[in-house]
Amino acid sequence: MSVIPQDAYRRDAETNPYRPWPARITSIIDLTETEKLFEFRIIDPEIRESFTFQSGQFVELSIFGVGEAPISISSAPSKQGFVELCVRCAGDVTGALHAKQCGDVVGIRGPFGRGFPFQEMKGHDVLLVAGGLGIAPLKSLINHIHDERHEFGKVTILYGAKNPAEVLFRYQFDMWKHRDDFDLILTVDEPDESWDGERGLVTGLFDQIEVDPDNTYGAICGPPVMYKYVIDEMRKKHMDVDKIYVSFERRMKCGIGKCGHCGVGHQYTCVDGPVFNYWEAMNLQGAI
Amino acid sequence: MFFRMVEKDQIADLVRGLASEYEVVGPVEKQGRFVFAPVTGAEELRLDYDTTLLPPKRWFFPPEETIMRFRTADEEVTDDEVFAPPRVLFGLHPCDINALLLMDNVFTRDYVDPYYKARRDNTLVVGVSCTPSDTCFCNVWDTDEVHWGFDVFLTDLGDRYYASLRTVKGAELLDDYVKSSEVTEEDTAEFQRVVGEFKQAFDNDVDTTQLPVLLDAKFDSPIWDEFGEQCLSCGACSMVCPTCYCFDVTDRLAPDQKSGRRVRTWDSCQFKEFAAVAHGQNFREGRASRVKYRYYHKQWGYLSKFERVLCVGCGRCARACPSDISPVRVIEALQTGGVR
Repeated sequence: MSVIPQDAYRRDAETNPYRPWPARITSIIDLTETEKLFEFRIIDPEIRESFTFQSGQFVELSIFGVGEAPISISSAPSKQGFVELCVRCAGDVTGALHAKQCGDVVGIRGPFGRGFPFQEMKGHDVLLVAGGLGIAPLKSLINHIHDERHEFGKVTILYGAKNPAEVLFRYQFDMWKHRDDFDLILTVDEPDESWDGERGLVTGLFDQIEVDPDNTYGAICGPPVMYKYVIDEMRKKHMDVDKIYVSFERRMKCGIGKCGHCGVGHQYTCVDGPVFNYWEAMNLQGAI
Repeated sequence: MFFRMVEKDQIADLVRGLASEYEVVGPVEKQGRFVFAPVTGAEELRLDYDTTLLPPKRWFFPPEETIMRFRTADEEVTDDEVFAPPRVLFGLHPCDINALLLMDNVFTRDYVDPYYKARRDNTLVVGVSCTPSDTCFCNVWDTDEVHWGFDVFLTDLGDRYYASLRTVKGAELLDDYVKSSEVTEEDTAEFQRVVGEFKQAFDNDVDTTQLPVLLDAKFDSPIWDEFGEQCLSCGACSMVCPTCYCFDVTDRLAPDQKSGRRVRTWDSCQFKEFAAVAHGQNFREGRASRVKYRYYHKQWGYLSKFERVLCVGCGRCARACPSDISPVRVIEALQTGGVR
């Protein structure tokens, strides 16, 4: 087998933003029938060490022969050396990833885009609202807040899923239910007999929470239909439009503001987002 | 900038000289229309062309190109070198050079695109003045003039060219291959007269007043439904556009499945799947939303980032559209509220 010299490899990788870095799958956890949590370790030690990111950013996951897919990072930036991606088996690339085993190698490019304003959020209350797979990018933010918990005021997490089998990261949330420094409320549309949480849509949970409108940052991620209704609830609580952050899913094909697929209004989701505040999002025609 | 006068009969020497060092690409006639193609001598060039079918973007950003070769076993890239031969694009009009400048903003700023950049760096541009055709509206965007983005620009003064030398390389080419002479005051006066006539020759009058405001304020206007009804989603407008840069990327495996190529191809926001994501959601499912997005991005989205509209008024899309949708018609509809 021919080996590409390390020097040549690094030089190319640094100058070519389209070139994925080989990364090894170090852990796979089955979360639901369709979602798995993958942990990756970039093989090149220098690239691995320089790989730092913000919660809310995404990577391009590459499987040669199949293609690339944009996936938001689920792990906290404080967890260095590893990247966690919560991936739904939804298309060609994610399907091929689901067929991979621990130890297999894939490609990763990134991190790309603008994440949540973590530093700005410090010193404030935080209200995080997730629907379905939208918990994936918020999980990074939640874990990051957890790591620096003393820097934040009240932290409230509202998370809605279709049914109990589709609740992601349930093992972690079950543990957190007993903590008094996170107000965590889970709800499902279609509960079964095992479910002891709330029932109904995530917007229904707003009756149960108190929000200090002058001191609270909001972060929302979920299916496209969800945003408008959650934002309505936040606005009813008098939260500022520029303190409500939303993360968008679009077809970020190149990740670097060139290919055009993720265009929304006058912006590109990949470089201008995927996290926008609501004032910006309102100004993106066709976004919400 | 420096200027020299070049007799027209010197162009043959210039092209011959250039061809000894570079691949020379210029406008040639093809079945009554014009295309950019490699030439070996000036006699093949048609510097009096109106416009070409395809813009010169393909020489920097080909319709299809391999961006890397890979090995599937270990996900390694085996080759991502760029093929960028020394080339001269000879005879570009101001609109097309301006279009390159707009492309440069996208491909050579943040996250430099190594493929585009290598070709741009290795390509000399020799511009030539033009006369407006019936679909040209470059005057509307002030792209009928160009002051950078080229090495030499030749303004036609009848039997001579008034040559603007923008780069060292451009100046050297003239020195090396042609006999040129000093520009006199009379030459510059003649240049002014010719350019003045050129400006007068445009007869279209497109009202671009407050276009970004209109695009937002009339986002839900029924004019978009009308254009959506007419549009066939063929994407011809994007393919012939000198400023459309959107692309798709696909992997092609070799028959043994062990290696392959990652290939990028021109794409169009007018194609139905362009904004679709994995599990069925399509953010621009309807044709009206796609036609609207194209104009919204060109006249406002790009403008908001780079302070120029993403259109140079070359008129190629107006010629290519089977439904006669054109920027001029769209802008007029935005101004008046009715589609004509």
